[in-house]
Amino acid sequence: MAEMGRAASVRFENVEKSFGSVKVLVDFDLEVKSGEFVVLLGASGSGKTTALRILSGLEEPSAGQVYIGDQSVTEILPKYRDISMVFQSYALYPHKTVAENIAFPLKVRKVGKSEMDAATLSAAKQVQIENLLERYPRQLSGGQRQRVALARAIIRRPSVFLMDEPLSNLDAKLRGHMRAQLKHMQKSMGITTIYVTHDQIEAMTLAHRVAILEKGVLQQLATPAEIYNDPANLFVAQFIGSPPMNVIRGNLDGNHLVTNGVRVDTPVAGQIAQAVMGVRPEDCAIAPPSEGTLSGKIYTNELIGDHALVTIDWGGDQISVKAPKDFPGEMGDDIGVVIPRDHLFVFDETNGRRVR
Amino acid sequence: MSETTYRFQKTNRTLMERLFEAPAVGKMSPVAKVVAYVLLAVWSFFVLFPIYWVIITSFKDAAAVNQGPFYIPFVDYQPTLDAWRIQFTEDTFCNFGAIGRQMGLLVYNSFAFIVSPIVSLQPMEPQICKIYLAFTNSVVISIFSTGLCVFVGSMAAYALARIQYRPRFGNIMIFVLLIVAVIIATTYVGIPWWASAAVALALFFFLARALRGWFKMSLGNGDILFWIISQRILPPVVVVIPLYVMFQAVGMLDTHMALILLYAVANMPIVVWLMYDFFRHLPIELEESAQLDGATRLRIFWEIVLPLTRPGLAATTLLILVLSWNEYLFAVFLATVKVQTMPIMVAAKNTGEKGIFWWEMSALIVVMIIPVILMAVLLTRFISKGVLMGAVKG
Repeated sequence: MAEMGRAASVRFENVEKSFGSVKVLVDFDLEVKSGEFVVLLGASGSGKTTALRILSGLEEPSAGQVYIGDQSVTEILPKYRDISMVFQSYALYPHKTVAENIAFPLKVRKVGKSEMDAATLSAAKQVQIENLLERYPRQLSGGQRQRVALARAIIRRPSVFLMDEPLSNLDAKLRGHMRAQLKHMQKSMGITTIYVTHDQIEAMTLAHRVAILEKGVLQQLATPAEIYNDPANLFVAQFIGSPPMNVIRGNLDGNHLVTNGVRVDTPVAGQIAQAVMGVRPEDCAIAPPSEGTLSGKIYTNELIGDHALVTIDWGGDQISVKAPKDFPGEMGDDIGVVIPRDHLFVFDETNGRRVR
Repeated sequence: MSETTYRFQKTNRTLMERLFEAPAVGKMSPVAKVVAYVLLAVWSFFVLFPIYWVIITSFKDAAAVNQGPFYIPFVDYQPTLDAWRIQFTEDTFCNFGAIGRQMGLLVYNSFAFIVSPIVSLQPMEPQICKIYLAFTNSVVISIFSTGLCVFVGSMAAYALARIQYRPRFGNIMIFVLLIVAVIIATTYVGIPWWASAAVALALFFFLARALRGWFKMSLGNGDILFWIISQRILPPVVVVIPLYVMFQAVGMLDTHMALILLYAVANMPIVVWLMYDFFRHLPIELEESAQLDGATRLRIFWEIVLPLTRPGLAATTLLILVLSWNEYLFAVFLATVKVQTMPIMVAAKNTGEKGIFWWEMSALIVVMIIPVILMAVLLTRFISKGVLMGAVKG
């Protein structure tokens, strides 16, 4: 068992989980360093929450081992794992005041009254709710409830901190604010944190490293920059980025991708009949029809604010390009698109793997 | 403004539309309102009139009752306290001094019962004032049986709501067969019951383990629940004779404990079914969170789950309390002298040879009704307060 109050590393080793015949986690390996902030990112049903629940002990793995520190906790009861968790619904006890909610983990550990009160106040101060201690959860706003849940999780300084979509019930403005606060708090407390979300912005902004899951399989584990700039496979490439990466099917012939009657220069070479090229809208550029790598007609031109998003019909495909906000193109105009060779990703469509 | 939109303006509807159309989803049309309130008034009359009749009858004498139905005191008949007076004077012991002494005795006897494992104190026979005795019997029996029933029943319901049980069909069969074997061994072969039970238990664990792969079929929580409620399918009158024999065999006839246990067991299925539903609808995250915070299952149950189901708990308690307060059939068989309850007192006013003493019976019924009304008022507070609390739950 990890020593109380000391950040601990976490390791999943070949963890499997199935509910009946449905496999929710497949051969899941993950190593989280002590003090690190790792985000499990995936769509609903990707197994990210299950992984978190297995670590917390609320769910038992069908196979494999889970370690906190150097100790396997697979067979250890949740309450002895020295973790705390923030639930999506906050799971506040409605019949207890804010102070009683926050102090509950200490109360069940029979901590003395004066010590408990001091810890409650200090945890409350850390999330700025020290003036709400006498209220009941029903008298609080969503953001305040979220803070109470956070305070309850940090009061006993766990060695691992688990969060299951903690911000998803807040409105957009508050979410941004809480995100910044969470990041600051995690950094200053240095507690190992595993955070589950389906929101890529949260993942990119909060995490030291992001683990992307799909259908129970870990797709890539890397820093946000690596995930964005160097996706391991087609799924990751399409999942991350907004607007999403342009994906165009063709066949890879040497170091050219042949598609819609055009040969696009690629940074990699090979012979793949079913290949996919991916390029992010912001890496492409608008050009006169004659100067582009390819040319087509404008489908829409949407002004987003700091830029315009231009969608172009090109053969059977559509391709989006981020253009300057004053781009004047109208629907139906002929236009060219420059695809830079260095920012082009090529994938094998049969298995989704990146061609390197 | 076009013709159609004009017609649907509130103020421009025809008389019939105004009478029959509800102005909003949450409101009733005038006609519906009148119909609803008339029906409610009629129903209230049906419900409340018998109570009124019982109350006024308790202030009549034999002559006033026998002359026919009169409903208005002082006009139709002259009220009298005879029926009430007789309750407290028919025994020598029914005066306030005697009742005070009996209260003292009750305290003494409870104390004697508690210390009996250590110090042998003989309980003292109370001098019997029938109405007082019956009333305290009813209070003691219904409160303790309800407490026991709700306590055990809600824990069982919680277990069924949260834990998945898969009892194997084969194991149940083995268990039943072994019980039959124990009975045969004890009664016909003469082996001491504890020896045969111990052997059977050991055999059960051995067989259950050895034959584990054989029986695939298993039951689930739904089957257990159904089995529990099925205990109420038989009419109680069918089981009352076997129960009499059983209590006789263990020497518990005419004791408080017999009725307390019996009522608790008889009402347990109702508690389990009602509470099961309340527990099942609690958000499970609260319990998971408490578990991660380090709380034991028992603590989670007491500190998180029970307070949150307080409205359901109060409603269930009230129901069980009323059921055991009014129970007649078991009491009339099992409580012959000392632990007679109020319903038996009431029924005893039907004397057979002298006819029914309606006026005295009415006085007793009034005495029986008052605590129930008090309890309902008290517990209703919890019920409505609890509902509010649940409604705003995050």
